[in-house]
This record gives sequence, C-alpha cells and structure tokens, in this order.
Amino acid sequence: MFNIPNFILPDVLLLIFPFIVIGMRLFVTTRSQLPWRLANIGFIAIFILLNLIPFSGGAERIFISNWKVDDFGVLMREVLIVSALLGMWLSKDYFEHGADKKPQMHQIAEFIGAIAFATFGGFTVVSACDLLTFFLGLEIATIPMYALAAWNKRDQYGSEAATKYILMGSVATAFELFGFSYLYGFSGSLHFSEIQAAVASGSSPLLWIAVLFLFCGIGFKLTLFPFYTWAPDVYEGAPTPVTAVLSVTSKATAIAFLVVLVYGPLSPIQDKMAPLIALLAGVTLFVGNLGALKQSRLRRFMAYSSIAQAGYIMVALLGPATTAKTAIIYYLFVYAVSNYLAFFVFSIIGHHREETFQSLRGLSKQNPSLAIALAISMFSLAGIPPLAGFFGKFHLFFSGASTGHYTLVAFAVLNNVIALFYYLQLIKAAWVDEPDGHLTPLRLTKRQREVVILLSIAVIFLGFVPFLSNNIFAGFTN
Amino acid sequence: MISDITLGYSILLLPLITFVVNGLFLGNKCAKAAAIFAVVCNGLAFAAAGALAFIYFSDFAPQATSLFDHTFIPFVGGLVARIGMLIDPLSVMMLVVVTFISFMVNIYSIGYMREDRAAGRFFALLSLFSFSMLGLVVATNLFQMFIFWELVGVSSYLLIGFWYHKPSAVSASKQAFILTRFADSFFLLGIVLVSYVVGSFDFSTLNSLSLVDFQKQFINLGLVTISKSEALVLGSILIFTGGWGKSAMFPMHIWLPNAMEGPTPVSSIIHSATMVVAGVYLVARLFPFFAICDNALTLIMWVGAFTMVFAAVIACTQKDIKRILAYSTLSQLGYMMFALGACKIGLVVAVTGWTASTFHIFTHAFFKCSLFLIAGSLIHQVHTNDLDAMGGLGKKMKLTYVCTLISILAISGIPPFSGFFSKDEIILAAFQGQHYVVFGLALFTSGLTTFYMFRLFFLAFHGEPRHEGVKAGHVHEDFAMTLPIVILAIPALLSGVLGKGIFEEFFVPGQLNVPQLMKLEHAEWLPFVAVGIAVIALVIAWVLYASPWAKVQRALDETNRSGIYKIVYHKFYFDEMYYAVVRQFIFGGIARAARAFNDYVIEGLLAFTVWFVHKLGDLVRLAQAGYLPFYLGTLIVGVLLWRFFGQLPL
Repeated sequence: MFNIPNFILPDVLLLIFPFIVIGMRLFVTTRSQLPWRLANIGFIAIFILLNLIPFSGGAERIFISNWKVDDFGVLMREVLIVSALLGMWLSKDYFEHGADKKPQMHQIAEFIGAIAFATFGGFTVVSACDLLTFFLGLEIATIPMYALAAWNKRDQYGSEAATKYILMGSVATAFELFGFSYLYGFSGSLHFSEIQAAVASGSSPLLWIAVLFLFCGIGFKLTLFPFYTWAPDVYEGAPTPVTAVLSVTSKATAIAFLVVLVYGPLSPIQDKMAPLIALLAGVTLFVGNLGALKQSRLRRFMAYSSIAQAGYIMVALLGPATTAKTAIIYYLFVYAVSNYLAFFVFSIIGHHREETFQSLRGLSKQNPSLAIALAISMFSLAGIPPLAGFFGKFHLFFSGASTGHYTLVAFAVLNNVIALFYYLQLIKAAWVDEPDGHLTPLRLTKRQREVVILLSIAVIFLGFVPFLSNNIFAGFTN
Repeated sequence: MISDITLGYSILLLPLITFVVNGLFLGNKCAKAAAIFAVVCNGLAFAAAGALAFIYFSDFAPQATSLFDHTFIPFVGGLVARIGMLIDPLSVMMLVVVTFISFMVNIYSIGYMREDRAAGRFFALLSLFSFSMLGLVVATNLFQMFIFWELVGVSSYLLIGFWYHKPSAVSASKQAFILTRFADSFFLLGIVLVSYVVGSFDFSTLNSLSLVDFQKQFINLGLVTISKSEALVLGSILIFTGGWGKSAMFPMHIWLPNAMEGPTPVSSIIHSATMVVAGVYLVARLFPFFAICDNALTLIMWVGAFTMVFAAVIACTQKDIKRILAYSTLSQLGYMMFALGACKIGLVVAVTGWTASTFHIFTHAFFKCSLFLIAGSLIHQVHTNDLDAMGGLGKKMKLTYVCTLISILAISGIPPFSGFFSKDEIILAAFQGQHYVVFGLALFTSGLTTFYMFRLFFLAFHGEPRHEGVKAGHVHEDFAMTLPIVILAIPALLSGVLGKGIFEEFFVPGQLNVPQLMKLEHAEWLPFVAVGIAVIALVIAWVLYASPWAKVQRALDETNRSGIYKIVYHKFYFDEMYYAVVRQFIFGGIARAARAFNDYVIEGLLAFTVWFVHKLGDLVRLAQAGYLPFYLGTLIVGVLLWRFFGQLPL
C-alpha cells in the first residue's frame, strides 16, 4: 500500500470525504439525513485525528517535499475544522425552513462540500512551502465562498452580495498574483526558503512592491481598511450560516496567510514592515469600531465588529514569531467560539423574527437562557474579564507590546471602549428594553439548545482557565 | 490510599461544589436537600482536613511544602502570580479549624434556618464563605491571598445582608464591605509596592528577606525617592492595614458589632474561624517579613493592645448579647494581634508571641463559635437579643447552661479550660518582651473579660425569668442546634491542655533573618496573678448580678446613669463620629467638589468625545452606500494610500 505518514491523514480525509458526501446524493433521496450524518462523522473524525498529532517541538514534518505540517499548521487546522463543524451545525436549520425573510435553502450535501473545500483551502495555505501551492490554497479557500454567498439563488440580495464579492475578490486575487510575480522576480524562486534567503541578503523596490500588493490583496479577505467595503453588504446579503463561516473560516485563512508570509519568507524584513502593519491594524480597528456604532441590523453589525476584530488580530503580527503565533491561535479559538455563539443566538432569533436589534427587545424576559448566552458572547467579544475574549485580546496586545509598539496597543485598548459601547447596546436591547408584544415567541430545537450551551461553557471555560493557553502552546516554546 | 494531594483538593473543592450545587440547583427547590448536602460536604471536607493534618504532622512537620502550585498569570518582568496550596503547621491548623467550625455551623443552621424560606441560598453562601477562607489560608503568595481575601469580603457582605428586607441588615453589610474595602485598598497598594521592590509575591521569598540588601538601592515613588528598605517598611505597614480593617482593629472596628444583623450562624463563623481571623492570620503568615521591618511590629502591638482594652470596656455595658460577644471578639483579636507585635525585644525576636497568638486563634475559635451558637439558641427562645428579656433560662436549658459555663470559663482564662493556656502565653510574651504597659493592660483586660462574660451569664441564665414565654415554660432545646454546641464544648474544654506545647513546635525554623529566641522561661507567679484577677472579677460580677443582694432591674436600666457610663454605653460615640465625618466631610466637602468637577469638566469632555465619535461613525456609514464602482475604487485608493503612508522604503 501507500506509505502515508500519520500526520497527513486528516488532510487526506478532508480531501476525500466531501466527494463521498456529495456523491452520495446520487443514491439517496433528497430528504435523507445520511449525507449530513456522514459529514458530521467526517469532520469530527478529522478533529480527533488532528488532536492525535503530537507536537513536533519545532521540527518540520514534510510530505513529498512540498507539504509541511508544523505545530502552527496543526493548530490552525483545528481552528478551521471547529469553524467548519459549527458552520455546518448552524446551517442545518436553514435547510429545513427559511429565515430572516429569505427562502429555505436546498442541497445541503453540496453546501457542506463547499465548506469542506474552503476548509481544505485553509489547510493548503498553512502547509504550503512554495508560492504556487500558497496561491492555490488561497484560491481554494476563496472560490467556494463565492458560491456559498450566493447559495440562495432566489434571493436577490444574496445575488447582489455575491456579485460584489466575486468582482472585488477577483481584483484582490489579481493584486495577490501581481505581488507573487514581483516576489518571484525579486528572488528568482518560488520556494519559501530560497525567497527567505534572497530577502535576507538585501531588499529592493521590487520586493517592496510585492509586499505592498500582497498586503493589499490579503487586506480584502481580512477586511482591512479600506478593502473591507464588501464585507457589510455581503454579510448582510448572504445567508446567516454563510456569514458566520465567512467571518471565521475566511478570516482565519487570511490571517494564517499573513502569519506564514510574515514569519516565513518575509521574516528578515518584519521590522521594516512594522509601520505598515501597525497602520493597517490601527486604522482598521478604528474604522470597524466606528462603523458598528449605529447599526440596526444584526449581521451588518457583526460585519463591522469582525472588521474591528481583524484589526485587533493584526496587532499581534508585530510581535516575535512564537508570541504572535501563540496569541493568534488562542485568539482565533476564542473568536471562533464567541462569534459562533453570537451567530447561533442571531439565527435562533432569525428563524422567528427579523435579524434586527428590535427583535432582541425583552429577550431576557422571554428567554433568559438565550439572553445570558448573548451576553456571554458579547462580553467575550468586547474583551471583558474573566471571559475568554479578555485573555485572547490580552495575548494579542502583549504580542504587539513585546516589540515596543505601546502607542498602537494603547490606541487599541482605547478603542475597546467604543467596542464596549456597541456590544453593550445589544445587551441593553436584550436586558433593559421592554419586550415588544408583536414579536413572535422563540422556540429552540434540541440541536440549537445543545450547541448554545456547549459554546457558552466554552467561552466561560477558556476564560476561567487562562493558563490553559500555556499548555496548548507548549509546542511553541522552543 | 488517598494521597495528600487528593485530600488537599477535596478540602478546597467540596465547599465550592456545595456553593455551586446549592446556589444553582438545590437552593431554590428544596431547602432541606440543600442543608443536608451542605452538611455532608462540609463534614467530608472536615474529615479530609483531619486526615491531611494527621498525615502532615506524622510525616512532614514542621516543614513547609506546597501540595500543588500552578502558574495563574505570568506578568511582565518575571513576576508570576501563582495559585497553590501551602502546607505548613499554621495552615494545616487553620484548615482543621475552619472546616470544623464550618461543619458545626452548618449542622446548627439546619435548626436555626428551619423556618427561613431562603435557607437554600443561605447554605450556598455559607459554603462560599468557608471556601474563600480556606483558599486564603492555603495561599502561597500575596496575590492569591488577596483574591481570596476579597472573596471573603464579598461572601461576608452577602451573608451579613442576608435578610436584605431589613434596612439595618443592608446598612450593616454595606458598612462592613466599605470599611474593609477601604482597608483593602491599602493592602493592595502594599502588595503592589512590595512586589515591585522584591519582584515576587511568594511568602517564602518575602519571609526570607534581609533588609540590608535593599538599603543601598533607591526607588522613585513619584513625589519622593526613598531607599528600597524604607519602601519595604512602608509596604509592610500598608499590608498590615489590610489586616487592620479585616480584623476590625480600632478605629476600623465599628463594622463588626453592627455585622450582628446577619443570621447568628453567620456571626458565629465570622467571629471564630473566618473573616476577622484573616487579619491576624495575615500578620502571622508574614511574621518574619514584619519582624525585619522595624516599626511594623510595634505598630501592630499598640493597635492590638488598644483595641483589646477599648472593646472590653464597651462590652461591660452592653445589653444586646450578640453585641457583648462581638466586643469580646474585638478584645480577643486585640490579644492575638498584640501578641504578634510584642515579639520584638530590642534587636532580638522572640517567637513566643507568635506561638501564643496562633494558639489563641485555635482555642478562641472553639469557645467563641460555641458562645455565638448559644446566643443564637437563646435568641431563638425569646426572639430578641436583649438581656432585658432573658434571665432564668438556666433551669430550662440545662445542656446549654453547662456548655455556656464551659465556654465562659474558657474565655475568662480559668484553668483547666482552653483559654487559660493560650492567654497565659500571650500575657507571658508581653511580660518577657519587657512591654510592661501592655502587660498591665492585658492583665486588666483579662479581668474585664471575666466580668462582662459572667455578667452576660448571670443575667441570661440566673435570676427570675423576665420573658413571658419563658415564664410560661415555652422553652425547649432544639436537637440540631444543641448538638454542635455540645460538640464544641469538648474542644473548648480540652484544646488548651492538648494544644499546649505543640504550638511551640509550629514555627517553621530558619525563616527569620534576625536573631531569634525560640523559647522563654516561664514566670512561675504569672498564672496565679492572672487567675486571681479573673476570680476577683468573677466575684464582682456575681455580687452585682446574681447574689441575693443584686439589683438586676437597676443594673439593666441604662437611663439613670452617670456620664461616663453613658459614653461607654454608646460605644464612645464612634458610630456617630463616623457618620458625621462621612456626611459632613466626605459627602458635603469632597463629594460635592468632585461632583462639580465631574458635571462641568468630565461630562463636557465626554459629551464632546461621544459626539465626535458618532460623527466619525456617520462618515464610515456614508461610505457604505452600496455602489460597486465606488467599492472597486477603494481598492485602488487603498493601494495608493498604503504606498504613501505605509512608510515602505520604496
């Protein structure tokens, strides 16, 4: 048989099982739950397999000379799988009935397949050893997203959003390719290690043009200023589960792309890129926070909130490799859990009402446990101790501060005040405002209840055990 | 075989589990189940503490080790906050005492809270209280201690204000919380200062410092530059201030008597094993650190000694039995505190005072807990705290009568009851330390103690019944309430004889960086003098309140009294002084000025900032008009923007 090393198994499984899920549709009825169950088993199996991979302690595991599985890669894979699994769970109800004035969705097997392929794109990005694989990974992660955004074919807002998304995405991809070609032109090689050697031996305008366009291109996916403009419209127009996947998987892939780039081939000039990174981070988080101030639609609000979060994550990129990777991974876990918790609450509301601030009124009286879950996720996103979000942000800021960027960190912390203001508006709507008699009552399905409880516990637990992060990242400490 | 680590975890976690289970699940639904669960868990915690003590004293004593030690928050610059479980003779002793008292109080509360509809909440909070105290006791460092210190404060606040429908209970709980928080803020400052100078929170590091190393280094405290050794002395006094407030030493004592508004089991646990003992424990825990900081011990001694006399004088005039007990606690805490402070003899430090103080914590816990439980029992019969309505209860409550006598003899320091041994050592420490003024005060106070305790005893149990219900014979002893009282009478009687000599081995040697004296010669005549004074006081109390020619009615009437008596009866008007200062000075002066500054300057700036930020937010939303060409344009603009502002070396 083939001589396949253990650490590659999750990747192989992720590549194969979506085809099985989609192919199965030929043999079962449209109502069958079989593809859904199989997808669950597949994702969970991958997650377990990933957890079985021991930390390599910095040593690189290479598969066929071009597929690298390091500790950061394994942890990023876990983030992506968690996001895919939660996104899938979130989407299930949308295939049973419509929500938020949008019709019911169809073809769940293909939907899951698209999520799985996007996830595989993320896997490819963190495994790449050369520019070609790297670029392919990014595209594999992006193209399914275009399809996902337009999943509701009969919804004109969804189509409009997807059109904007794909057009702007194409331009961003062009930027990326442009940057890659300059990078190749500068170094004469596609391979990361050789590019790194070339960068270390001296820079030239060629290299800096490449850096500029790479950052601008990825700025589109990471929703950095001013490339974020698509995000509010697409988050608003796409189906809610797609919005959630976009805000976590897509963002995690993009930040992984930057981490690989900044701490890989471009690491010799990290200190020279610092002003650009700091500016991008500062402006993005400021604008994101400002935008979120006066929103009334929940998903639009989450769009700006996640723009601001992208800015916060960028702060960590200023730090030394180990600190930054640790902080980013930990934060992505926290962000994924908190964000999905928020989206689950919104989707439960969306199934019965419109997804607006108005619909939250009096939630604490009608459905206290849901209001508590909402408060937990908002406080976590706002970074209130002792919830997970606080420690996540703490690690990010710590990473930024450890190379002396105190001004930026102070600015980011000040911005948290604005963030707290708008997150509290949601909580105010749920806890302080009087209930509106016209609102339809909420009903939770068993799955929704279980996932909300699970995620709430996760947010609290990750926060109450801050030293957990030390253990998670024991592998990084060399 | 159960390992000591398992025991350690179960001591801490069982009360916490009780709190969570009772607070979230059992409390609202079934108070009875909550009570049983609390008693079982606290009983198990006590059993675990007992087993741990057995293992510890047979294997390790008196070495200090930690059962577990986790990194909690690593700060910048090598400063690490850890969460651990420190095991040394002192903390093991405290673990046993706290779990035992908590177990007893839980049993007692089954009876006491039987009628209360919120009993489930009560049992949850009681367990939180003992969990906080246990966490404080086993703290390995100042940071952990402060966390649990504050938890103790919060849970005491919740318990004192347990009957929140009573305005007096609410104001008492607020008073306790605010006053102790006021002191805690100094404690926190002290922690910051000391950890900054030393670079560590750990008790083991702080307790093995030598000031000489710090004399040549200077730090800048903003206004002044002082040497690090001076900073440490300042820090030690700030840290002591935390204990000053928590242990309700004069003049921060007023919250403790008012805290009587809580249910009696709460008073019992506050006064014997948790909360107020925390302050003394803090000083005992950091004793080697205080010992090297020159004036700290002297300050501690005088604060303790003054509180001791002051509270005892007030206790002689009070009529509310819980208040008498509260002032007696203050006075006894004064004993413990001054004993710690009286250790310094010139440049030598005698460990006897430390030994005596920890010994007194131990014995005091039992008889004081017992006395409060008894007070609760009496109140349960006559439905008032007032001595006016008692009298003649001894005939109806025989068991309680005997147990009360044991505890009162113990607190009065009459041999062979427990208090005699520990108090004797404290007085001896003052004498040997050549602090003759304090020594005299201690002897005098021991007389006062006997007097006011027997005054309470005679007025409550002897004479004719003054309460209609008692006259009619509606008096009975509740089983759940009497059982812990009887059990507690045993250590109140015996803990002194058994504990004597053991505590001298308690001090973990090799910690003090100053010349030390482990043991002092006993003065043969001292016990006779002390007991003589106590007996004289007893006789005076008998003559005034129980003898055939005593005028009980007149003794209880406070209206027709001399000026001095009135001043003492009104507790030297300290409560009124506090209110005056708070109303006139803080509310009227500082608060008003701060309010004006806030209204005109801060609010204005804030309003402007909010307006400005909102305007910027509008700008961002304006850009989001939905036109694709505009969006595509931003991509190009973005590239140009970062080309020019990204500071790229292009």
